[in-house]
Formats: sequence, structure tokens, C-alpha cells
Amino acid sequence: MLERAAELLVYESDGLPGYHRTPSLAVFPASADEALAVVRELAREGVPFVPRGAGTGLSGGALADGAVLLGLQRLKRIIDIDPVRRVARVEPGVVNVTLTKAATRHGLHYAPDPSSQTACTLGGNLAENAGGPHCLKYGVTLNHVVAARVALPDGSVVELDGDDGGYDLLGAFVGSEGCFGVALELTVKLTPNPERIVTLLADFSSIDDAAQTVSAIIAAGILPAALEMMDQATVGAVEASIYAAGYPTDAAAVLLVEVDGAAVGLDEDVQGVNRICRAHGARDVRIATEPAARAKLWQGRKKAFGAMGRIAPHLVVQDAVVPRTKLPSLLARIADIGAANGVRVCNVFHAGDGNLHPNIPYNANDRDESARVHVAMRQIMQACIDAGGTITGEHGVGLDKLPYMDALFTPDTLDGMCRLRDVFDPERRANPGKVVPVRYCRERRPGKLMVDGRGQMVDGATAATITAESGA
Amino acid sequence: MSAVVTPLDHPRAGLDSCVHCGFCLQACPTYLALEDENDSPRGRLVLMRAVVEGRVAIDDADVATHLSRCLGCRGCESACPSGVPYGHLLEAAREQLAAVRPLPFVARVILWAFARPAVLRVALWFGRMARDTGIAAELARLPGALGFPFAMLASTARDAAVPWTPRAARTRGTVATLDGCVMEGLFTDVNRATERVLAANGYSLCRAPGQQCCGALHVHAGDAATARRLARANIAAFEASGATFVAVNSAGCGAMMKEYGQLLADDPDWRARAAAFSARVRDASELLAAAGPMPGAPLPRRITYDAPCHLEHAQKLTAPPLQVLAAIPGLEHTPLDDREQCCGSAGIFNLIEPNVSERVLAAKMRCISATGAPVVATGNPGCLMQIGAGLVREGRGAVARHPIELLDESYARLER
Ligand SMILES: Cc1cc2nc3c(=O)[nH]c(=O)nc-3n(C[C@H](O)[C@H](O)[C@H](O)COP(=O)(O)OP(=O)(O)OC[C@H]3O[C@@H](n4cnc5c(N)ncnc54)[C@H](O)[C@@H]3O)c2cc1C
Ligand code: SF4
Ligand code: SF4
Repeated sequence: MLERAAELLVYESDGLPGYHRTPSLAVFPASADEALAVVRELAREGVPFVPRGAGTGLSGGALADGAVLLGLQRLKRIIDIDPVRRVARVEPGVVNVTLTKAATRHGLHYAPDPSSQTACTLGGNLAENAGGPHCLKYGVTLNHVVAARVALPDGSVVELDGDDGGYDLLGAFVGSEGCFGVALELTVKLTPNPERIVTLLADFSSIDDAAQTVSAIIAAGILPAALEMMDQATVGAVEASIYAAGYPTDAAAVLLVEVDGAAVGLDEDVQGVNRICRAHGARDVRIATEPAARAKLWQGRKKAFGAMGRIAPHLVVQDAVVPRTKLPSLLARIADIGAANGVRVCNVFHAGDGNLHPNIPYNANDRDESARVHVAMRQIMQACIDAGGTITGEHGVGLDKLPYMDALFTPDTLDGMCRLRDVFDPERRANPGKVVPVRYCRERRPGKLMVDGRGQMVDGATAATITAESGA
Repeated sequence: MSAVVTPLDHPRAGLDSCVHCGFCLQACPTYLALEDENDSPRGRLVLMRAVVEGRVAIDDADVATHLSRCLGCRGCESACPSGVPYGHLLEAAREQLAAVRPLPFVARVILWAFARPAVLRVALWFGRMARDTGIAAELARLPGALGFPFAMLASTARDAAVPWTPRAARTRGTVATLDGCVMEGLFTDVNRATERVLAANGYSLCRAPGQQCCGALHVHAGDAATARRLARANIAAFEASGATFVAVNSAGCGAMMKEYGQLLADDPDWRARAAAFSARVRDASELLAAAGPMPGAPLPRRITYDAPCHLEHAQKLTAPPLQVLAAIPGLEHTPLDDREQCCGSAGIFNLIEPNVSERVLAAKMRCISATGAPVVATGNPGCLMQIGAGLVREGRGAVARHPIELLDESYARLER
């Protein structure tokens, strides 16, 4: 347990260092039982709390503003792996890639592979419904969680099982961003390793050509395991880092395409992708089949976000999803917005899913630049919403995307979300002030204590009127 | 920020390049052992930044604790996509810390001795006596941190090496070797073996009298001033030797000497000399790898290899030590899980932070046991003694050896 100011500083931010919120206390239970005991104690005292995994979240979700931070990184036991049923039971603090490593000897892996997989925890993945490059073919976290044992904020324990009849409460819990309770144990599916995998790197002299290629590949009936795009600024940052992957730094954009499956027939897909890339103006297509060469190509992509620290000390990371066919026009629009505001947008994203990550490296100490970055981001998000998209694909709403919620959802929908939350956490003590702006929870409850965005207990009627603050 | 320029203000840009992505967490032995981000690279960088921004004082008890618990292994640098120069930041932070808060007594005594060759020679003589009379092995049985230093000492015992005379075919340049304090004091045989195998691979050896401790322990503890004094003495000594290369068989010393250029960057008289000197420093395995190295006679033995942090992370040398081992026919090499993770030795860390060190070593010993290998090869005195002590205490008869010792033994068999 930490309570001294200096030590709490370290838990002020998650993967998005633009935000700082100081917890009142940080607790690190060493077992699920201890975690449950802590949740019960917090319930008894009526204290708000925030679960935290590895703190790699990119929406400020694990920040505790005066609330108690419940760190789950010590719950890192893989309880068992059943190679026959192809499931694993794990504690929430197990790091994503650790499970895959443990499953390797059974020829299995855990399919959802966020780029942060060497750091983030499975509990955090569950809470954010994390995706990753290979989710294009294999599906996101939701498709791979079979069951979860959850401590509700009132201290009761529920077993959520996706296979049970009735409402899919597990489905509701996945992606609940720590607002519905604490996952104490997860049962997840393991996926057989494909027989053969081929990775292609195509380089384009125009972003538009690359974007057109994305839709063309899917339209041709090929379902790649992954289909990722990086622009020139991103490639430059990666190539300057220790994870340099040999990407062409003079390309306007590169596509990283992976096809996998049974060895028989795979070459057809490889050649199909190759042909389509070239038909759409690819200058070169590199084909890697050896594990070492493939791993190198992927390393660069997976560490791209971290490598942007080389451009500027701070970074805003966006996470919008748009219909795939709108990619070309939207990328052009984003470039215009960047230019108009004098900021540098780096695109690195899951193109196959239409899941954009326009990132802007900047210096937060430069007020003028910060302001321009924020204007650009708002315009980009609005452009995505106008194109029929949504504001988060996989990083969650947390604190960061709160201001966009009302642009996307009607007040009725937001109120519906509040009510769903009330089923799990009627006192709204778990991760208060995240995801849904408090002002949209219309059901005012005079006389009933609730928690506002700052983790303070206030009267329900007051809570409903407090405007959620956007931070940074 | 304060107006006074402090050591941490220099590498400020490096501090800013941390994007808080967390990729370094799982690469950090102290985070894995202690499971608190205050003991992780990302957390320590937050603390350093808070110091620079004036949010906490450098001598805040918690800041000091977490900075002191860092092994300085730089495993985090090898995981960081953003290129945060963690090692330099740590050294700067420790220098700043040392200015306001004295080091632990044990550390001060050790550093004091290492900066004085005469004192050190006497101390190491006592060490050898304790070892050779078997007293160290007895005292190694003392429980916990009490017996550990004796186990370290006991692990440096060697059977007398088989002497052989190298016959060099052609010359690849002149080499002066760094004797090194601990290497020459406790691993004398390894130093002689290094000279033989270098000669056998075509290097002509020359001496560099006047050389001293490399200063690495001092820099890591925040005593940059003493380190600079030692660095100047070494640069002068090796310049006078006229050698093309400076060969170092201790990963920690090699890493330090390759950084003299940076250490003396603010010294106009020495800047250029230091940079030129650093450019000539090579780990002995690098020189051997460049020469082939010449294959030896079969040495049927099961081994595993542990990468010293200061080779793997600081000098970024992964292949050369493996090439040295590959020159020995008959070695059966079982790869070690997490071989790039620190063993917890970290200079004198194991003596000043015994509890953390013990937990880090425990993880390493589990991986070593899993290989079942009776010999662990690793090219750094600290690691040799740390793992060596772990093996002594484990009592299954396994030993830690420098890769060059094994190559030397294999060459000796060629002669027979
Ligand atoms: C470099 C980088 C790349 C990334 N790439 C991707 C990517 O490709 N795809 C992707 O989806 N995300 C990505 N992310 C975002 C992030 O890694 C994911 O959101 C991840 O799931 C967060 O896991 P965590 O353990 O770090 O959780 P944290 O950041 O600690 O917490 C995230 C949220 O989960 C809640 N939470 C944590 N544990 C529990 C639990 N046991 N029970 C209930 N709630 C809990 C917290 O309250 C918080 O709201 C990336 C992040 C970085 C830094
Ligand atoms: S130097 Fe080693 S112990 Fe210190 S923060 Fe980096 S990885 Fe951790
Ligand atoms: S990996 Fe590098 S950039 Fe990422 S948190 Fe660690 S030090 Fe910072």
C-alpha cells in the first residue's frame, strides 16, 4: 500500500502522459482474495476506487482523481491451461504476451494482440475490449473471453459466463472500462497457431493509393490476418529507433499485410495481395516467410507508437473507426486539418478494420502548439463522426474521449448507458467520472450519495449537473 | 525549474522522450521482483522528472529509495522504442542525490578502496587468503546476506589452469588489456587466459602500466568526480602503451571505458582524448569474434549462457560471446530463459541492497536450474560472483565460468 506523495506521483498517469490525476491511496493486493477483501472494505467505507492493470491505457481510463487506485499487477498467475478445450484460466494481472508464451508449447496462442501486448494486462484488455492487428481475422477481446469472475463494487462476487443462457452479462462487462467492477479471474480461449504465415510489406508513393488498396484486398475476397498502414512520419520514427524494421523511409505510406492458414492454398492469397498492391501503384512488395524476418517487420509496427517519443515529448493518440471505404477521403481530410493547424499528424493504424490512429506528437509545454493540437483533434474526430464512424475502436473512452460522447450519442442513449452501469454499480464508485459524462445521467436522485468526476461524494442531484472535465 | 543547473538538467531532453508507453516494465528485474511501478524504469523516470520540475526534492526518502534500488542494468533501454537514455539519466540523478545525501557506509568504504590501488591490493589479498584457505567456503554457510559475500568469494576459486603457449599466426594489431581490480585480484587465471587466447588469435599484447580502476562503480553510485579522475589516469596509461585496441574482459568495465568520451565531454582538455580512447575499447569477445575465432579442441560439456547486462544492454553485444562459445567443439549449449535479465549483481548493488538483489537472483537461479547445466558461462566478474554465489549456496556443484576460460581450456587441449 502506498500513501506517500512522492510514490503516488508514479501512478498519476497511464499510457497517455498528458493527463495527471493523483490517487488518494494505491493498494496492490497480492492475491484475488486480498483484492476481494480490499473491494469489500472500500464498499463498507463507501470509498470510490479505480482498477489499474499495467497502466498502458490510452484514454486516461486508469487515472484516479482522489479515489483509491487498485493496482492488479501482482495478480499474475496463470492458473491453468487446458490444451484440449483450448482455454486458459488466468488472473487479471497476467501480461498478454506471457499467456501466449506459456501456450506456445501446446501450439496455441492468445489471439487478441494489442501492440502493447508485451506490457498490458489481460484484465486491462478485458476492460477496454482491446483489439490488435490480428483482430481483423480473429476478432477482438470480446470474442475470446469465455467467462470472468468479477467483484462488484458492493463486494459481491459474480461469475459471468458467456455460454450461460439469459442476458449476455459478460458481453456487457467486456469493455466496461473498470466502471462495472473488478475482474478477479478470466477464462479465455486459446487459438491454434496457423500452419503457415506470410507477411508482406508494400510501399506506396501516395497515401491515397495505399488506402484504396486496403478496400480492394477485402473486396477481392481475401481476409488477411492483419492489414496495417503506416505513413511516412511514423516510418521515420520507427526507423530511427532500436526497432528499425527496414521500412522504406521515402515511401508516403506502407501497408503491412499478413496472410495465414493452412499451407495449401496460401500462396494464392499471397499472390493475390501482391497483385492488388502492384495494380494500385505499389512501388515494391516484400514478402517475408521466415519467422525472424516476419518478427522484425512486426516489431517496427508494434513499437511505432512508442517510437514517436523521438519526434516530440507528448503525444495525443486518437482511435476512431470509420467505414473502410471512407479511408481514402478521410485520410486526405486529416492531412488537410493537420496542415491547416500547423501540426504533424502521424498515422499508424489497423487499416483492415478502418480503425484509425491519427497521432499528433507535440510539446505540451508549448501553450500555442497545445491549443492547435486540440483544435486539430476535435476537427479530426468530427470528420470521423461525420463519415459515419465512431470515436473509439479499442482504447476506450476513459477521460480523454469524454468530450466527444455527446457528439456521437443522443442524450437518451447516454442515459441508457448510465442505467446499465447502475445495474453493476448503483453507487457509481467504480472508476467514477469516466466514459459517460456525468451530466447525461438524467435520473437524478436527490438524497442519494453518488460520486462525481473528481471522486467526491456528492448528492445525486448535484452529480447530475456537474460537467465532466476534459483534462490536459 | 530551479535556476541552478543540476546534473539532471543536462539529459533533460532524454527525460522528455519517455512517452509512458510501459514497454520497459516487463524488461525491468526490479519491477518484476517488487511489482511496484516506483521500482520500474517508467516510474523512476517520473520521479526524476518530478525532481527536475521541483515537485519533489531529490533527497525525498522515497525518491532516494527507489533510485537506489535500480540495478542500472539498462535492460529498459533495450526495450524502449523511444530511445530514452536511461543509464545516463540514472547516473545524473545519482550524482544529484549523492550531493545531498551520503551513500550507505558500506558503499562509501568500497568506493574509497577502489579508488586507491594500494588499499585495494591489500583488501583483495585478504580476499584471496580467505578463499584459498577455505575460510570463505565455511563462512558462506552463514544465513542470508551475512554469508553471501563469502559465497561470492568462494565461487572465484579455480583449479590451476593448464599452462600452454600460444603460437600466433599473424598479427591483427597490438592490444593492451585492462587488468581490472576484481579481475586481477580474484580472477587472475581468467586474465592470463584472456591474454593467451588473444595471442592465439593473432593479437600482439603490450602492457599499460599506471592503469587503475575503470570508475564504473563510482559513476553508478553518483561519484562522477572520482570516476573522471580515474578515467584520466587510464586514458594516459593506455595512450602511453601505444596499443591499437584496449581489450576488456569485464563487461562492466568495458561499458564504462566506452563511455569515457561522454564522461569527460565537458572537460575541454580531455574531451578529444577521451573520445579517441573510447573508440579503441573492445570487449575481449569482440576482438575474438573479429578474428574468427580460431576453433579449439573438443570440450564435451553442458553449459548455458547468461548475458551480462553491460554487454547485452550497455554495449549492445549479443553475438560475440556466443561466437566465442561456438568456437569450442563439443559444448552442448542449452539456452537460458530470460538470459538478458539482470542477475542482481549490478556492481556493488548486491552488497548495498541485499534484499532486492536476492529476489532478482532467485528468478535467475530458477531459470538456470531449469537448464540443468553444470556450467554457466558469463563474461563479467560481478555476474560470475553473483551467479557463482547462488550456485555455491545451491550446492549441486554447478559453477560459473567466463566464456574465455572455456575457450582457453579448449585451446589447451589442442596443445596436448
Ligand atoms: C504503445 C501502445 C500500443 C497500444 N496498442 C493497442 C492496440 O493495438 N490495441 C488496443 O486495443 N489497445 C492498445 N493500447 C492501449 C492499451 O494497451 C490497452 O487499452 C490495454 O488493454 C490496457 O491494459 P492495461 O493493463 O494497461 O490497463 P490499464 O491502462 O491499467 O487500465 C485500462 C482500463 O481498464 C481498467 N481495468 C484494468 N484492469 C481491470 C480489471 N482487472 N478489472 C476491471 N477493470 C480493469 C482500468 O480501470 C482502466 O479503465 C496500446 C497502448 C500503448 C501504450
Ligand atoms: S536499469 Fe535495470 S533495474 Fe534499473 S530501471 Fe532499467 S531495467 Fe530496471
Ligand atoms: S519504454 Fe521508454 S518510452 Fe516507454 S515508458 Fe519505458 S522508458 Fe518510457
